Amino acid sequence: MVLADLGRKITSALRTLGNATIINEEVLNSMLKDVCAALLEADVNVKLVKQLRENVRSVIDFDEMAGGLNKRRMIQSAVYKELIKLIDPGVKAWTPTKGKNNVIMFVGLQGSGKTTTCTKLAYYYQKKGWKTCLICADTFRAGAFDQLKQNATKARIPFYGSYTEIDPVVIAQEGVDKFKSENFEILVVDTSGRHKQEDSLFEEMLQVYTAVQPDNVVFVMDASIGQACEAQARAFKDKVDVGSVIITKLDSHAKGGGALSAVAATKSPVIFIGTGEHIDDFEPFKVQPFVSKLLGMGDIEGLIDK
Amino acid sequence: MFSIFKGLVGAKTLSMEDLNPILEKMKDHLISKNVAAEIAVKLCESVGTKLQGKVLGTFGSVTSTVKTTIQEACVQILSPSRRVDILRDALEARQQKRPYVITFCGVNGVGKSTNLAKICFWLIENGFQVLIAACDTFRAGAVEQLRTHTRKLNALHPPEKHNGRHMVQLYEKGYGKDAAGIAMEAVNFARDSRMDVVLVDTAGRMQDNEPLMKALSKLIKVNQPDLVLFVGEALVGNEAVDQLMKFNQALADHSNVNDPRLIDGIILTKFDTIDDKVGAAISMTYITGQPIVFVGTGQTYTDLRNLNAKAVVNSLLKG
Ligand SMILES: Nc1nc2c(ncn2[C@@H]2O[C@H](COP(=O)(O)OP(=O)(O)OP(=O)(O)O)[C@@H](O)[C@H]2O)c(=O)[nH]1
Ligand SMILES: Nc1nc2c(ncn2[C@@H]2O[C@H](COP(=O)(O)OP(=O)(O)OP(=O)(O)O)[C@@H](O)[C@H]2O)c(=O)[nH]1
Ligand SMILES: [Mg+2]
Ligand SMILES: [Mg+2]
Repeated sequence: MVLADLGRKITSALRTLGNATIINEEVLNSMLKDVCAALLEADVNVKLVKQLRENVRSVIDFDEMAGGLNKRRMIQSAVYKELIKLIDPGVKAWTPTKGKNNVIMFVGLQGSGKTTTCTKLAYYYQKKGWKTCLICADTFRAGAFDQLKQNATKARIPFYGSYTEIDPVVIAQEGVDKFKSENFEILVVDTSGRHKQEDSLFEEMLQVYTAVQPDNVVFVMDASIGQACEAQARAFKDKVDVGSVIITKLDSHAKGGGALSAVAATKSPVIFIGTGEHIDDFEPFKVQPFVSKLLGMGDIEGLIDK
Repeated sequence: MFSIFKGLVGAKTLSMEDLNPILEKMKDHLISKNVAAEIAVKLCESVGTKLQGKVLGTFGSVTSTVKTTIQEACVQILSPSRRVDILRDALEARQQKRPYVITFCGVNGVGKSTNLAKICFWLIENGFQVLIAACDTFRAGAVEQLRTHTRKLNALHPPEKHNGRHMVQLYEKGYGKDAAGIAMEAVNFARDSRMDVVLVDTAGRMQDNEPLMKALSKLIKVNQPDLVLFVGEALVGNEAVDQLMKFNQALADHSNVNDPRLIDGIILTKFDTIDDKVGAAISMTYITGQPIVFVGTGQTYTDLRNLNAKAVVNSLLKG
């Protein structure tokens, strides 16, 4: 993932601070330039990168500060704080409650991996002993119900959907009612892919949302996305109450920096990552351990607290 | 009087010092429009080299000169010399009594199957009989997805409208089978039943997934399609470069021939989802030198366009 891969580049950029005899504006700028270039190559949103640069700069006042060591540490710690901000929205991740109906609605752009990830999530909880099921509220995409049905059947997860009903709101409602009455604990609702430019699709999403009253809305984002992510993520958040992000296709070469802007735009944490097409190519993602691991790497150990 | 002379004498020679700050800004602008960073850098470098030492026209500012030069460079990148003319080539194949074969490839979820269906619709409208080969034998629902499209397309173009001819058929062998073999059977079937065009759908695959890339190379090597189209989404960022390089590389590496089949053209999908962040069009054509044959602009059969290079470049430089 982006920050892990970036670790090396950023460490070496930060090392230039250690090598410089005096730390002045020029040294700081050139270090920041390297860090920002690395972030842009990883698709991190340009606005976020700009902000990061400005925030780090504003921490340091060269006229007022004296000791070189102090400056070094302040700069390094400012860079890390900013990097962490990219990935940590500062809110606790939503978690389902055992013994209760937890309705989880999946939303996202076309082809981002919603349907695949729905099954992965249901399977993940099923293996942990939860009573899980899948509902296919995608009546638009050709073969959508067959896709979910085949996935669910293979994973032995109960599912609901229809070949004839064309209104996703009706199916979502019926499916949720049925499974709630059967005391299912994790009810995953898959929806069609959509994008902010098409109002009717966003309106439909809101209707499904209103009908099923989900306990959590998961925004699914493809790791290869570039600069378009931010505006889309913001638009989804404005329409329905997105509470979590899942980044898919991290088995590619992509670093996922574009997808990370969904964290800032939706103020929601990444809860899982997808790392392949198979049902168990799926990992929980925890911000804090990830960050500690990042900070634990090599040279940069303990930079923040000292 | 004096000021007029000054204006004329003031026509200045551009140095890198004049250019650098503006090129730097231009690079950031291109990246913000979703051009891959590496390509934005190269583009700006080449413009710098081109303009350095040139005399600035009386009326032009450095900024506008840089902008015009970038504009020209981008239009050129988007207008490759080779054109792909599917209708002409398919007609020619028909005269040779053989089907014209197009293979669609790309990473997962970019829109291969959907845009295959759109192209099928366009071919039918142009009087061609099409066979869709369901060679994604992996992803759940992939076969049913194509079956649904076949049914819908036949409903739009029923045999009554076409002298009793079924304009589109599906060739499928379910899941789990060897894709290259199914493609081969489909082409033979099309030849025997005198169909004009075969559209080969393949499973999405990541460019670093060696076994899957090998399988794709094999499919292309044994079937020698007339056209290999790479499907890439306009949403993709820096990864566009890696995808195209590695798809081409895989086709070259696993072919064991001197003149391997590589990517002949690009379908740029989801162009309706990116507003003015059109940079992927530049990244993809810059890397391959191959044309964008179609642009996907939505989820219905008619959402297929030709690339309008000028409009793309205008969006790119706007704002
Ligand atoms: N390599 C890889 N492929 C994935 C991953 N997650 C999903 N995919 C693939 O991405 C493609 C699209 O996935 P879907 O689950 O159909 O995406 P979707 O968001 O439901 O698509 P729509 O319903 O059309 O909007 C499929 O080929 C999946 O197998 C992942 O983590 N890694
Ligand atoms: N907005 C928009 N959506 C598109 C476009 N092209 C395809 N899609 C959508 O993208 C999603 C994925 O399309 P598919 O055709 O299944 O993609 P694929 O590349 O065949 O996917 P895999 O076979 O799973 O790798 C579907 O929801 C399509 O409707 C487009 O031009 N614009
Ligand atoms: Mg889906
Ligand atoms: Mg497909």
